[in-house]
Amino acid sequence: MSDSIFAMKNVSSEEISLKNLSVQFGGVRAVDNFSMTLYPGELVGLIGPNGAGKTTVFNLITNYIKPTSGEIFFMGKSLLGKSPDEICRMGISRTFQNIRLFPQMTAYENVELGLHNVPHYSLLEAFVRTPRARRAEAETRKRALELLEMVNLKDFAGERASSLPYGLQRRLELARAMATSPTLLLLDEPAAGMNEDECNELVKLIRQIHEHMKYTIIMIEHHMNVVMELCKNSRIYVLNLGSLLAVGSPKEIQTNPQVIKAYLGERKHARYNSNAGSQ
Amino acid sequence: MDLFLQQVVSGISIGAIYSLLAVGYALVYSVYNFTNWAFDAFMAFGAFMAFYAISSFFLPFWVAAIISILLAIGMAVSTEKLAYRSLRLRKAPRLFMMISAMGANLAIVNLLNLFFGGQFRRFPVENIGTFSMGQVSVGRMDVLAGIISFGVLGLLWVFLYRTKPGLGIRASSIDILTASLMGINNDAVAFIIFAVTGVLSSVAGIFYGIKYAVYPTMGIVTIKAMIASIVGGLGSLPAAVVGSMLLGILETLVAGYISSTYRDLFSFLFLVIILLFFPNGLMGKSSDEKL
Repeated sequence: MSDSIFAMKNVSSEEISLKNLSVQFGGVRAVDNFSMTLYPGELVGLIGPNGAGKTTVFNLITNYIKPTSGEIFFMGKSLLGKSPDEICRMGISRTFQNIRLFPQMTAYENVELGLHNVPHYSLLEAFVRTPRARRAEAETRKRALELLEMVNLKDFAGERASSLPYGLQRRLELARAMATSPTLLLLDEPAAGMNEDECNELVKLIRQIHEHMKYTIIMIEHHMNVVMELCKNSRIYVLNLGSLLAVGSPKEIQTNPQVIKAYLGERKHARYNSNAGSQ
Repeated sequence: MDLFLQQVVSGISIGAIYSLLAVGYALVYSVYNFTNWAFDAFMAFGAFMAFYAISSFFLPFWVAAIISILLAIGMAVSTEKLAYRSLRLRKAPRLFMMISAMGANLAIVNLLNLFFGGQFRRFPVENIGTFSMGQVSVGRMDVLAGIISFGVLGLLWVFLYRTKPGLGIRASSIDILTASLMGINNDAVAFIIFAVTGVLSSVAGIFYGIKYAVYPTMGIVTIKAMIASIVGGLGSLPAAVVGSMLLGILETLVAGYISSTYRDLFSFLFLVIILLFFPNGLMGKSSDEKL
């Protein structure tokens, strides 16, 4: 037993690898033979025109959609056939393109929901309020507030999620995703609908979270300046019509003629700018 | 005036029983968006179990009640496993769930009929009499039914709003998929919800059986609870309680001042009138708090 733990610590193993994933909806191949490998602590971008299959990749990882073929390994274990809650508890957490908070619950409750790793106590203890249950509750409270503070939402803890402005809801979703103590974070268009200032703040926040929490992050994003900035030391995967079009550093991607073609069509190279693809 | 107070007190007691049933419907509806028609069979089942625990095994009332609750939990949870789970896992339309629920209902009621026979039985508890409050004489059993019913509902409230699993259930009632992505186990949620409906149905079944009689189709009274939860606002627990109390009091007033023959007529009339002016029920907001 101790041997295997030792081994796992030493080998810098893959955090997640998608191997030849395909999924077919009727006659449409939403994802076609897609592979991707991330090592612990990496932050990579996943971009592509609308309908390229980016969110489908996330849905495949969280097993909301079953792949037609291919495999997904997370920390060496296959994710196929696992339920979403098992996958969450294995250490994968995500945010959504269209915010999916629990609108009627408070910001605090939204985060509290994901805090599973606090000391466990039984239902009876919760009713009788034993010292153990109270300690666990205090611990939950502390961690929920820490998470809210990390995204600058501590002052809004008691507010209903639905009453928060859009930008704050996005940040709350981020805090909620972190609550489940993930090692892999899937961010689905975190900057959607944000203006330039908000984007810059988000870049700072994501970078902070990435550095402090040592998450591995896959980020889908349409705001090119956000992706290019956050992934400048790593790589970007470009999906088009379900299949991988290119992988590379932001520089390589920006100058890749195939990518430009996919985004803008054949004869419009000249009009490509750093905001291409945002809408 | 005395008759009025008398009927109101009696209405609160029947309203409390309706509340248990209406909350049982609302709880399942709030998470799974289908009406659990098998629920009224759980109620009859619970009443039968308590009845036989007392009449055949000579157990004291409280022991019989606890056994009945445990067996009703078992019945509710196994119905979920057998009749709903595979449909739920395959994301079947809710109509299929409802049809499956109707099937489960028929099966349970007919099994009760087969094993125990369809005759009406008087619930074997001694009459604990009445006491008078001013001019009003109040049945002790009515008071007990009211206290226990609201006690159970109070515990349910504490569970939903003050505990971690309760938070998970509230989250599931808002968005079950996102809840599971946050690590909430859907099967555990289903287990807890159906266990709760088992408790609610059994307690309601026992008190309703004491008030009227125990027979396999006694669960038909849950149609009143359905009316109550629609009047209040479907899928909302507080609304279910408010609707139930209104309906309980209205019914006993009609029975007292007009005629008990017209009681049900007025219940349905009440539903129609409420829906004319409040299509979502009195407190129903289609997208607001569901639990």
